[in-house]
Amino acid sequence: MIEIHGLTQQFSNGRGIFDVTFEVEKGEVFGFLGPNGAGKSTMIRHLMGYMKPQKGTAIIHGFNTWEQQEKAREKVGYLPGEISFLDGMNGLEFINLMAGMQGLKDKKWQNELIEQLQFDPKTPFRKMSKGMKQKVGIVVTFMHNPEIYILDEPTSGLDPLMQKVFIDLVLEEKAKGKTFIMSSHSFAEIERTCDRAAIIKDGRIVTVKNINDLQYMQRKIYDITLENKNDVERIQASNLIIENTNDNVVRIVVQGDYNELIEELSKFNVINISIVSQSIEDVFMNYYDTKGAEK
Amino acid sequence: MNISLFNQMIKLNMKNFLSFGFGSALYVVLMTSLYPMFAENAEAINELIKIIPETLKNALGFDSLTSYGGFISAEYFGMFFPIILSVFSVMTATQLLAHLVDKGSMAYLLSTKVSRIQIAVTQAIVLISGLLFIVLLTFLGGIVAGEILIDEQISLEFNTFFQINLGGFLLFFVVGGYSFLVSSLCNDEKKSLGIAGALTSIFYGLDMAGKISSELEWLRNITPFSLYNPSEIASGDAEIFIPSLILLGIGLFNYSAAVVVFKLRNLPL
Repeated sequence: MIEIHGLTQQFSNGRGIFDVTFEVEKGEVFGFLGPNGAGKSTMIRHLMGYMKPQKGTAIIHGFNTWEQQEKAREKVGYLPGEISFLDGMNGLEFINLMAGMQGLKDKKWQNELIEQLQFDPKTPFRKMSKGMKQKVGIVVTFMHNPEIYILDEPTSGLDPLMQKVFIDLVLEEKAKGKTFIMSSHSFAEIERTCDRAAIIKDGRIVTVKNINDLQYMQRKIYDITLENKNDVERIQASNLIIENTNDNVVRIVVQGDYNELIEELSKFNVINISIVSQSIEDVFMNYYDTKGAEK
Repeated sequence: MNISLFNQMIKLNMKNFLSFGFGSALYVVLMTSLYPMFAENAEAINELIKIIPETLKNALGFDSLTSYGGFISAEYFGMFFPIILSVFSVMTATQLLAHLVDKGSMAYLLSTKVSRIQIAVTQAIVLISGLLFIVLLTFLGGIVAGEILIDEQISLEFNTFFQINLGGFLLFFVVGGYSFLVSSLCNDEKKSLGIAGALTSIFYGLDMAGKISSELEWLRNITPFSLYNPSEIASGDAEIFIPSLILLGIGLFNYSAAVVVFKLRNLPL
């Protein structure tokens, strides 16, 4: 469905993407994971035909995304990362403009989407919050029932409830056999929907793995509060990886094996467990180890 | 061309079309209403004009003030009309491409099966429609005001006035054309506005300088503004066909170049 071969685009500041190769099958949800500036958006801009590759090719549905860009885009629903609409319009006018350009006739699904996302489409853009603009973007992306979805950081700006609505929407479309490629800088954002993901670092793909494998590989960090201060010393003597301790709070790093953690903790009186939010570099330290070395 | 995009763009720009169009029409009416007073004191004014150096008279078109046609073409079509239409052309051309690329909204317009060529052609047609609309309102304003306010003996023939307006439209077809080309080349809206604005000022200035000084007359060969001489059209001395054809040609070339540039370049979206 989507084939990318040796795609290279170096910018004058030395950044860009280098020799990117991967394929996405029909019906697959493919994640594109990396910190900001790693080249995710550049990748997507090539898929949309906004720039000419210096080397390599990107093909959607058999069409070269640069040379036959309008044909490649025909069955694509695109959600840009940075939302910028036309000034002086309201949401509905914009949705109708895009429907016209997509050649959409049947408005039933469009209206259903607006209802599901719960917003007033007649609000002028200048009065919209970021989340509301994102909803307009989602309607425009999904309403023409495309076969392939290209989503750039899709859930940024949505509140948790709407994130869930969005994820359900993705899963619904996936069940219909639609293909997705979505970029994100957060593993949590894509792990619920993706089948496979590529991890990208400084413009290069470091690995492409099944989501289950990635889940197993990820490092998670927990702050465990123990009731008894003396237990802190005892837990330090165990095999668990302790990052640091602060009073009776112990910060423990877990990668893959949760049983050991549970077993060890069962010996103590635990009064709180909280998960520490981490950047993608922290979650997949194996792939982003240079960051630690620089420090 | 894409109809949905065209309709929405016309809707978004209608306010500008209307304000520039009615502004221009009102100005013609105003100038026309001044003429009877002017004509009554024609002798005194002619005396006054004699003091002005010959070259400056040429530049400002003051040599033909004795008729309504000479008056309106010199005082409006030779002066304010180019300024109003220049501002409109440069501004709207920038708004239709460079602004959308700079802001990133172009990403949406380029997310469907509508091709880059179709988008650029549509935007060019929006610009040309705006110019046509403004000139049409100006034309109608002039015709109506002339009919009501000017005595028949001294009034301007319908055909001549039509030619003055048509020539004016063709000149700004060209100004809009190179502004649109600049707009399609620029990622930065301000840069597009600056370059197109500067070019227009330079072209206008070259024409003026060429008119004032006979030594600098060659300058008029490198500016499109010299191809539009409303005073000469009014007095019937102007060759109209060839300059119009040249303007049309330059304009078409610029719009086509803009479309090709927009198709081939990398967009920072």
